Amino acid sequence: MHAPPTAVISHLTAGRSQIGTSLSFHLFFAVLGVGLPLMMLVAEGMHLRTGDPVWRALARRWSKVFAVLFAVGAASGTIISFELGLLFPRFMAYAGGIIGLPFSLEGAAFFLEAIFVGIYLYGWNRLSPRAHWLSGFPIAISAVASAFFIVTANAWMNVPRGFQIVHGHVTHVDPLAAMFNPAWATETSHMVFGAYLATAFGIASVYAIGMLRGRRDAYHRKAIAVALSMAAILAPLQVAVGDLLGRTVADHQPATLAAIEGVTHTERGAGLNIGGFPLPGHNGEVLNVKVPHLLSVLALDNPNAPVRGLDTFPKANRTPLAPYVRLAFIGMVGIGTGLVALSLWYWLRRRRGSVGPEDRLTLMAIAGAGPAAFLANELGWLVSELGRQPWIVYGVFRTSSGITTSPGLGTTFTAFTLLYVGLTALTVWSVRRIAARPVEGLPVAAMRAA
Amino acid sequence: MSLPALIAIILGVSLTAYALFAGADFGAGILDLLAGNRDAARNAIAATIGPVWEANHVWLIFSITILFSAFPAAFAALGTALLAPLTIALLAIVVRSVALGLRVSPAATPRAGATLSRLFGAASLIAPFMFGAVAGALAAVSSSPPHLGAPAVSHVPWTGAFALTTGALAVALCAQLAASFVALSMVRSGQQRLAERFRVRGLQTGACVCLLSLAAPAVAATAAPAVWHKLIGPALPLVIIGLCAGAMSLLASWRRRYPLARGASLLTGVAVLWGWFVSQAPHLIGHRLTIHSTAATHAALGAIAIAAGAVLLLVLPAMYLLFAVFARPELEITK
Repeated sequence: MHAPPTAVISHLTAGRSQIGTSLSFHLFFAVLGVGLPLMMLVAEGMHLRTGDPVWRALARRWSKVFAVLFAVGAASGTIISFELGLLFPRFMAYAGGIIGLPFSLEGAAFFLEAIFVGIYLYGWNRLSPRAHWLSGFPIAISAVASAFFIVTANAWMNVPRGFQIVHGHVTHVDPLAAMFNPAWATETSHMVFGAYLATAFGIASVYAIGMLRGRRDAYHRKAIAVALSMAAILAPLQVAVGDLLGRTVADHQPATLAAIEGVTHTERGAGLNIGGFPLPGHNGEVLNVKVPHLLSVLALDNPNAPVRGLDTFPKANRTPLAPYVRLAFIGMVGIGTGLVALSLWYWLRRRRGSVGPEDRLTLMAIAGAGPAAFLANELGWLVSELGRQPWIVYGVFRTSSGITTSPGLGTTFTAFTLLYVGLTALTVWSVRRIAARPVEGLPVAAMRAA
Repeated sequence: MSLPALIAIILGVSLTAYALFAGADFGAGILDLLAGNRDAARNAIAATIGPVWEANHVWLIFSITILFSAFPAAFAALGTALLAPLTIALLAIVVRSVALGLRVSPAATPRAGATLSRLFGAASLIAPFMFGAVAGALAAVSSSPPHLGAPAVSHVPWTGAFALTTGALAVALCAQLAASFVALSMVRSGQQRLAERFRVRGLQTGACVCLLSLAAPAVAATAAPAVWHKLIGPALPLVIIGLCAGAMSLLASWRRRYPLARGASLLTGVAVLWGWFVSQAPHLIGHRLTIHSTAATHAALGAIAIAAGAVLLLVLPAMYLLFAVFARPELEITK
């Protein structure tokens, strides 16, 4: 069934836009859902160890924010589980029996998480401090497990394994082979590190803004220090994992690699394009610096290996959104490089004195790093999702074959977009009100003692 | 028992857990709407369902993942044929969760709290109504014998008399469940006046449940004769259990036997739900898509059975812990 010709956007575009909007929205909450529990555990653990009330105040504050974000994230996750069937039923009919296992396991992990979230959030005054701290561990662990399971399913969409197609029917399903496809390890670690990093920079960013507004106290300093410690450890690791993921793409998704790296024509001993913004009519030459042979080395471990150009793929099998894929990729890598530099800078400067650098410029850089890190996560997902097009399952199932035959997607897309606008406004309002409350349980003297 | 049948029963159990626990949550929203501006009543509702509401709704996600992993073709048909009512239910669930989450958060002002409450109440009413209507509609299209010219289900009418009756029944059941939960919790915490108020609500909503559970078969007899034949056939024991439990719940509320009233209203819910399952088994949607014809491969079903086992092993003890922690009084921790 096709949308009437008068429709503003096509049936397929409406469906893809709706699930894309839902995923981008959910990602923000999923990232914090993975990252915040770890930060809460660290802060609460530091309180148990040192007895310093500032740590407890931080943990409690973050747990209140987490309560709101978890509620919204659970709701937006429910939307996606429905939308898989409402928008892409034919894809689910095809793939449900192959990648159902990680989804079911994710259901179990989410279950555990929700139960312990209840215990943790409402249990501050019902459990001993130690028991309360321990009740946070299942949250942090199952949040990572949830992300892990969902991303294995996405890895399967990129590198499908564990099934055969016989006469158009899915047979010989091996759920474990599907789940542990060649991309599972690199994709899941890239996501989990990305979530931790965005949360860490996000927290540092909030408190850097506080310090810029003149609130230079122990509360703000400790928050920034703990967040940037985590960032300094993880940011270099994330670069390494990102490189490995690039190799996975090179091995299994040649058309995606060509789009990501802006390789239009096949090159032997391909150079790495740094910059090379795909502006209309410029064919990727804008502000480009080409490092000879580097792409062949990075992607294929051989300085002279050929990298297939986008033009060697039939038109129907290349992503129609190649310039956007390239832009998203440049953005992600650029932000990532900047974040590594920032965390190294912070820790080099901190070594010299006991307090981290608090000059205006550094604080402003930290303040900007939070939104940038979230943007990098969103861009990474754009690379994965747009880079795979026109396939919903790379090489075997087209996105256009998965869309629902039911009409009315223009209406549902509009309704959900409005819902997301409302949800965003409500969440921002709520978190801002939590942030505006005075820090509880903290004597003023403790705040000043830096 | 065949593997698809086993998974179908697991799905049924998961849906039952959702219907009862989340149903009580929906009901709490409906009662909240009825409570108007009486803060004591609304606080009693919030105190009863606050800590555990989030975990309850996970049953829905779990049911959906089982459905699309085990019976992918049926999931696809459901999503296609019932796009509209499921989208409305989904919007309602989301609005409801978010409104509640924000209302109980320390951020809410009294005025914002009142708006959020109304939103919460309205959404709590819409969601179970849609689910009830979907259930009735599915029963109607799935229990009817195959007739000519109906090869596949592309549209399931969900606004017929029978579907509307089952929608209303779902709403009444949710409200009665919530009333029985809140009344019992108030009695246990010694708040007799509030307990009395929710006992009355329980009687009112319980009467609605009884009337609607009598009305549903009657409507079926005229509007959906195929369902009627199932209800007086294989599903008859469940219909009888449901009617008896409904009457028992009313009687128990009347005589202030709070735990019994809650137990009986839970049993009513179980009987209604399984009455629906039995009346359309083994069909999932329409008569061609059964649990056997839409089942995923053996390996996939086995994996799901194992995942479900993992849920039982991990989640049930954790669930117990959650309820145990909140059954304890608050510790007085010195700041």
